[in-house]
Amino acid sequence: MKASHGIGQCELVNKVIRQGICVKCGACVNLCPYFDYFDGRIVVTDECHADTWRCLQLCPRADYEDTSLNKEGAAHGDGSEIGPFKEIFIARAKDEEIRGRAQYGGFVSSFLIYTLEERLIGAAILTGKGNEISPSGVIAKDREDILKCAGSRYTGAAGLAAFNRAIKEDGEKLAVVGLPCQMEALARMRRMNPDGEERDRRVSLKIGLFCTWALDYRKLQNYLKTAGIDGSILKYDIPPPPAQIFHVQTEQGWQAFPLDDVRPSIQEGCSLCQDMTAEWADISVGTVEGIEGWNTVVVRSERGSQLLSGFIEAGHLEMRELPEENLAHLKEASRNKRKRGNSAKKERRRKSS
Amino acid sequence: MTRMTQRKGGSVVLLQGNEAIARGALEGGAIFCAAYPGNPSSEIIETLAEASKDLPIYVEWSVNEKVALEAATAASFTGCRALVSMKQNGVNVTSDFLTNLTLSGTKGGIILISCDDPSGISSTNEEDSRLFSRLADIPLLEPATPQEALDMTKWALELSEKIKQIVMLRSVSRLSHTRSNVVLGNLPDFKQRPHFDVSSPFHTFPIIEKHIQRHQKLEQAREMFEESPFNPYRGPSKPELLIISSGCAWTYIGEALDLLGLSHRVGLLKLGTTWPLPKRLLKKHLQMCDRILFLEDVDPFLEDNVKSLAADMGKEIGLKEFMGKASGHVPDYGEQSPGVVMGVLGKLFDLDWERKRYRDKVTPWEEGLIPPREFGFCAGCPHRGSYYAIKTALAWDGKEGFVSGDIGCYSMGLFPTGFNQVKSVHAMGSGVGLASGYGKLEQFGFDQPVVTVCGDSTFFHAGIPALINAKFNASDILLLILDNSATAMTGFQPHPGTGNTAMGTPTEPVDVEALCRSLQVHVEVGDPYDMRDTARTLYRLMKMDGPRVLILRRKCALVQKREEGFPYLMEVDQDKCLGESCGCGRYCTRIFRCPGLIWDKEKGKASIDEVICVGCGICAEICPEKAIRMEARI
Repeated sequence: MKASHGIGQCELVNKVIRQGICVKCGACVNLCPYFDYFDGRIVVTDECHADTWRCLQLCPRADYEDTSLNKEGAAHGDGSEIGPFKEIFIARAKDEEIRGRAQYGGFVSSFLIYTLEERLIGAAILTGKGNEISPSGVIAKDREDILKCAGSRYTGAAGLAAFNRAIKEDGEKLAVVGLPCQMEALARMRRMNPDGEERDRRVSLKIGLFCTWALDYRKLQNYLKTAGIDGSILKYDIPPPPAQIFHVQTEQGWQAFPLDDVRPSIQEGCSLCQDMTAEWADISVGTVEGIEGWNTVVVRSERGSQLLSGFIEAGHLEMRELPEENLAHLKEASRNKRKRGNSAKKERRRKSS
Repeated sequence: MTRMTQRKGGSVVLLQGNEAIARGALEGGAIFCAAYPGNPSSEIIETLAEASKDLPIYVEWSVNEKVALEAATAASFTGCRALVSMKQNGVNVTSDFLTNLTLSGTKGGIILISCDDPSGISSTNEEDSRLFSRLADIPLLEPATPQEALDMTKWALELSEKIKQIVMLRSVSRLSHTRSNVVLGNLPDFKQRPHFDVSSPFHTFPIIEKHIQRHQKLEQAREMFEESPFNPYRGPSKPELLIISSGCAWTYIGEALDLLGLSHRVGLLKLGTTWPLPKRLLKKHLQMCDRILFLEDVDPFLEDNVKSLAADMGKEIGLKEFMGKASGHVPDYGEQSPGVVMGVLGKLFDLDWERKRYRDKVTPWEEGLIPPREFGFCAGCPHRGSYYAIKTALAWDGKEGFVSGDIGCYSMGLFPTGFNQVKSVHAMGSGVGLASGYGKLEQFGFDQPVVTVCGDSTFFHAGIPALINAKFNASDILLLILDNSATAMTGFQPHPGTGNTAMGTPTEPVDVEALCRSLQVHVEVGDPYDMRDTARTLYRLMKMDGPRVLILRRKCALVQKREEGFPYLMEVDQDKCLGESCGCGRYCTRIFRCPGLIWDKEKGKASIDEVICVGCGICAEICPEKAIRMEARI
């Protein structure tokens, strides 16, 4: 893209989209008419000529002022293993319907239903399942909306596009559930000019999901198509190591594919990510290795802590301590991702300079 | 009674060139007139269609120019007089039949009017249709004034009937659309009874024999041309320079000679009968002078043919200096104009002609008075919605997809008004044929999606064979028929889908959708005003294989406005409008570009031009802040 276009869009296209490192967080979508998300892709619809550029300020892959964000990150906690946190435990929802529809322990769905029904939040920004086309962001306003989004997508799905839409629709007290990149975009938003502070004010809760990588939706579709699956997919799952398997559930039941066959579909931009446990969230949630049907819950912020205490008091949750070896393993995995991301970033910088 | 039929012979009427041609056809007794619309020819049939209310003649808009010529020829074969008219591109379409017809010969007088468009002012090409007269040995007439347009048309019908050959008449935009006083002749009684003499069939066999006959007919015409009043000379008997010219260029030369004070030094031979050339007449004039200049519109047609003749007559007329397009004295492109002619003559006679140019005097004065205008779809045009949807779907897909386009309004997809989506434009229906080719390139690794677009009228004209080709060869083609229920760019002539004929008779419309379905291709219908939905449909269709048709149906905005009007009053809520700010960047006026939306410079906000805006409402969808509001018109 030539520099005659708006500087922000031009930078974003040249540095991120053309480089193939966009992770489809969706932060740039619905801010303006120049970006769109459709069927698994961030799309440049038209040439912007504006010289203010919120898109660039938000992008977790554009390296815009990322040093200062890292500094703040470091000040935020230990900045090394799984980021700052107040407490960590494992939990599962007591509600069996929720657990039945969730990926693991149903913590996120159950917590959101509680906060929504208690009017602690106005709406939840989630990632829907999609059917004919890719999953995409959803503004959930009741229990059923939330349960429809339960379970993991495993693909970049631009959920933050729905956040920007909710802001446009004057949404208040928003809860946002997202991957580490999406939590980072929201962290960048606070300092975004001109209206970042105002947007941040409208966020009441950020729930981050553990993430090793996400798949590119179109690449995954192509892979599944060649593997003989061409229809709606009910659920995906990647059992903990050493299974090395990618599970796909369709109307016909579960099918297993070697994880190595799926790896080429991983989003290139995910290799640059240094955050496994969503360190910018109020509360981060993931699986528990070796304990099926439970979630690891990392409480990071005061706000997260407060909302959670009400939830616990209301008695919706079964909680246990996170076994020491699990924490150690989580920290190791997190360290490894940080290392991998860091060296991939250095390698990319070396190549481009 | 129309102007064309109520006036008696001898009366003087202000007529447009095309109206004069129509009157000439009537005075010459043409009872069967057919055409396909195309600028600058369309008014001929429109005028005749109007006249058909008072006179026992038949007039039709045909599905294309070849069919028009074939249909009109039926009248000639049965001994009646006929006219067929078209723009230069149309002659190409007729050419297969035309080059055979000239071998078989004709019976009742028949004239082919080609209105060329020098400089391609409203065309996709610049072409000199006169070359067909040489190619197929057709006598050719070139009027220079509306009076000649009338007289020549009338006479051409007689000539045709006499030599049993079709005759061509070439007009140009400036003549077809100029107006001047014309003295009318009388109208005949139109009592012609068609009868096909089965003992005299029309065909091209034996070919050699027919080819010889064709040349003999041309010689007959040449003899008549020698004495024709259409070839006048003005100027001294021993001029310093002889200009040979034809058509509109001749009128510019007269003007230039007077302005430059050269009338007494330069001779001007105007040829109205330009093929075959009258040899004796030319010999006489070539002997007057040794310096010859050719000035004519588009190709060096007279120039080449006269030079060839001069070579044959070399011994008698001696060596000449020829100046024109070949020598570089005259531009070999674009239309002639008084300015161009003054330039050529000014240089030849070393005259300071530049100062005398009107345009140079006007330019400094007009600056700032005339607002710049770009090619654009009208306010409310459904094509804006269609191209917006195409742009969106191709962007969603992200594989460098593009549009294989069509002529007419659709060609504006090349420009910002159509979001620059169209990447090729040639002849009518060619985009569809090209797409049927792109659709077979996948086997070689081609993976860019192609959307082809044509109008409803083009689809009937030349799109159908290409679609059938795609079906036959199982090509991955996605054809969008932008059905606006009109032949819009040429002036809303009816076509097979509109439900009425040139003469205003109701007719059962051809159902494009049913026609496509009968080919068993996948067909869907959408609304171009529903841009997001149309984009989704397109995206889905792009993923499918084989031939697919999406008909996007909405009346041409100009027709809609005239017939029923539009439902909304539009307004911009300037408090909501973001203007240049991040989040919009003047999206409606800079990207969407409907002329009904204007930029309020003072406030730095968008606004509605209440005079231009028709109230279609589609811009409300594209405003990121929902600042464009629509209110139902009462």
